[in-house]
Amino acid sequence: MATVTAFRNSGIKALLDTYDPEPSFCELLSNGAMPDPLLTRLWNRLQQFEASDLDARAKDAERELQMLGITFTVYTDRTAIDRILPFDVIPRTISAKDWRHLETGIRQRVKALNMFIWDVYHDGHILNDGTIPQELVLGNSNFQEAMVDYDPPAGTYVHISGTDLIRDNHGEFFVLEDNSRTPSGVSYVVENRHMMQRAFPDLMDGFDIEPVSDYGVQLATKLGEVAPPVLTDAQIVLLSPGVFNSAYFEHIFLAREMGVPLVEGRDLFIEDDRVFMKTVAGPRPVHVIYRRLNDDFLDPEVFNKDSMLGVPGLMRAVRKGNVTLANAVGTGIADDKAVYAYVPRMIRYYLDEEPILPNVETHICREPSALAYTLDNIEKLVVKPVGESGGYGICVGPKATKTELEECRARLKKKPEEYIAQPMINLSVSPTLVETGVEPRHVDLRPFAITGEETWVLPGGLTRVALPKGSIVVNSSQGGGTKDTWVLKGDSA
Amino acid sequence: MTSNLLSRHAECYFWLARYLERAESLARILEAQTSFQRSGNPNNSWAWIVALYSDQENFAKKFSEPTAQNVINYYVTWLDNPSSIQSCVRAARENARALRPLISSDVWMQINDFYSRVIGLTESDFSENRLSRSCDSIKRGCYAQIGVAESTLYRDEGWPFFRLGLFIERADQTSRLLDVQFAKSATGNLNDLTMEEHARLWNVLLRSASAYHAFRRVHPRGFNPADIAHFLVFDRRLPRSLSFCAAAIQRMVNQLRTEFRLRNAQRALEHVDKFQADLQDKAKNGDLIEQLHDTNDWVQRELIDLSAELGVAFFGAEIEELEAAAPAREEPDESTARLSRSQGQSQIQSQMRS
Repeated sequence: MATVTAFRNSGIKALLDTYDPEPSFCELLSNGAMPDPLLTRLWNRLQQFEASDLDARAKDAERELQMLGITFTVYTDRTAIDRILPFDVIPRTISAKDWRHLETGIRQRVKALNMFIWDVYHDGHILNDGTIPQELVLGNSNFQEAMVDYDPPAGTYVHISGTDLIRDNHGEFFVLEDNSRTPSGVSYVVENRHMMQRAFPDLMDGFDIEPVSDYGVQLATKLGEVAPPVLTDAQIVLLSPGVFNSAYFEHIFLAREMGVPLVEGRDLFIEDDRVFMKTVAGPRPVHVIYRRLNDDFLDPEVFNKDSMLGVPGLMRAVRKGNVTLANAVGTGIADDKAVYAYVPRMIRYYLDEEPILPNVETHICREPSALAYTLDNIEKLVVKPVGESGGYGICVGPKATKTELEECRARLKKKPEEYIAQPMINLSVSPTLVETGVEPRHVDLRPFAITGEETWVLPGGLTRVALPKGSIVVNSSQGGGTKDTWVLKGDSA
Repeated sequence: MTSNLLSRHAECYFWLARYLERAESLARILEAQTSFQRSGNPNNSWAWIVALYSDQENFAKKFSEPTAQNVINYYVTWLDNPSSIQSCVRAARENARALRPLISSDVWMQINDFYSRVIGLTESDFSENRLSRSCDSIKRGCYAQIGVAESTLYRDEGWPFFRLGLFIERADQTSRLLDVQFAKSATGNLNDLTMEEHARLWNVLLRSASAYHAFRRVHPRGFNPADIAHFLVFDRRLPRSLSFCAAAIQRMVNQLRTEFRLRNAQRALEHVDKFQADLQDKAKNGDLIEQLHDTNDWVQRELIDLSAELGVAFFGAEIEELEAAAPAREEPDESTARLSRSQGQSQIQSQMRS
């Protein structure tokens, strides 16, 4: 606990003097570690701010976000209510060393996931030799028949991915979830940074922070790498469900940052298995579609017949190799809750490497030893159904009643293959401005990776913070906000 | 150069400007009416405004009498009137939202600010004492919006569509305003006006087009209706005259054809050229006042046809829609003009309601 004391002894009584993250791991204090000179500098810098000044600037920042329309939109009968995602002005920090670790780990994971998807839609080795249960993948609702034997450029299926990471009380990073379909949130990463640069130049001054503003350029470059071979520059478009989608702001952001048209399904049509967009100069060919539309809605000829948002015939164009979809259809088999448990095995299987970023310890109850362990330790574990039922049926051991535990045991014995079990993990914290001053609040991290021929990882990522005291739920629907995420350049201890 | 402007976005530019101009014109007319009202004629009713926009039927669905407050409510705050000021500003903002990937942040922030002010206006802001001030604030909001567009929008093909929407709507509004005589006689109280009140009415029309002082400079002596009507229709230097608008429309369509090389502009260009020529011919012909109502009908028909042509050429409207708009030749009024709104716009409207 050297660090807290060291900071406290700096002699200044100020903003963070009553800040106490114990027992959680604090992102700024790095509990137990040697004090990091850069983080110490940031701590001392924060100490010079008055809470009232921080608060006033935070309110200005939120007003600005509102004016800029960096919002989720909630529509009612007569009005459109634009809500901003709460923004906390105290940044979350990541050291250069930690970032190198995360970056390599994410690259490794994305590579294995892409190889896994290719394998599943081609030879199915990993299923045939029993490394991953066949029915788990082929019986999954995200498995898409239309993708069998399709060869995506560069073998890449997951072009854009978000990896949800958490840190335990010792500061070790774990992967909580892979997002391999249409992960969102990257717009907040960039906009939060811009906001900090406008509102807190005095806090940022002198810190060398990895930039995030070239995300759009990187994205356009990587998507260009996976375009079908064409004579001229590939035409990239961003396909959005439209203005009434709650993530419409992000779609705008991405289209603007890449400088490409933001299209809806009705702007596109297929002729001779090629994709065209309707412009004032007539039809223009389209080669790469970054789609922010779920598989089901993409093509009424193949998927949901009632979809008005998609483009009839799109999958024909994909299979002919005339257009590339990012992400590819059918990637949901790789970010399923049950498949998640097997990702470390995938990494060993395809890459012959040990996973750099561990999963949260997961007991796959379809395996007898895991089932036995789960039944014996049920009061310490979180038992989750692997099906598609979402949060339904989760049993949080430490919080459950005796009856609930017994019911859970019964369900497990009946259909063990439908469950996984994980230990309760406390999330790390970051100092956060709340009404009473600065207090620890739990955070997670979602770095974004873009893959064309190779993978590039945006330094940092989206830090979500659970604003209610003690809460570990970072989702925006349940009081979650965001923070700017600083990857600090230069080495420290 | 090759164009990547989506047809849907071109249409949004067009309607963004139309809705803004429509809101501004309504504010102008309501403001002008209050000053006319204050001039003390007890017979002066507000019914003519409803007649001006051929809104009698829709108005009657909600209100029984065209009292000042009812007319104001109908045209300012009633969202079931798609042409009320609040509906217009809201629709303008929804078009801007669809255009958000293309427009400057300045335009977007301005319209968010404007929208929140306009939507926050309530009945009390339009009481007799505050109506003029509120209308003025709406007008200034529209000016700021057009100004920030002028200052910051990138001048690709979207720009001519924005300007086309602006000037087509303005021409339509000016021709409606010029038809006030007709609208007034249709509501039956024109004959009650004295000569003096008649002159005052024309005075109000001039002022509502921000044209009073310009008219005075051109006509230092005299104040007769024929000169005023002629000024509002044919003066090429008055930004709200029909001739000025027609010339601007012609320039924009020409720009689409020549600078942006859009082949589809050819038919609209021929149409605009003919419209412009016919309008100039009318300048040479005798008694404008006598023919004013017919002229206005003709102008409005031409604008509806032109909009429909732009729809087919650029916005992805089907040919059938153009033909469906044809009955408008019989009785051009606001309801048929609304029908000519293309699918995309009706979608924006209906989605906002659902």
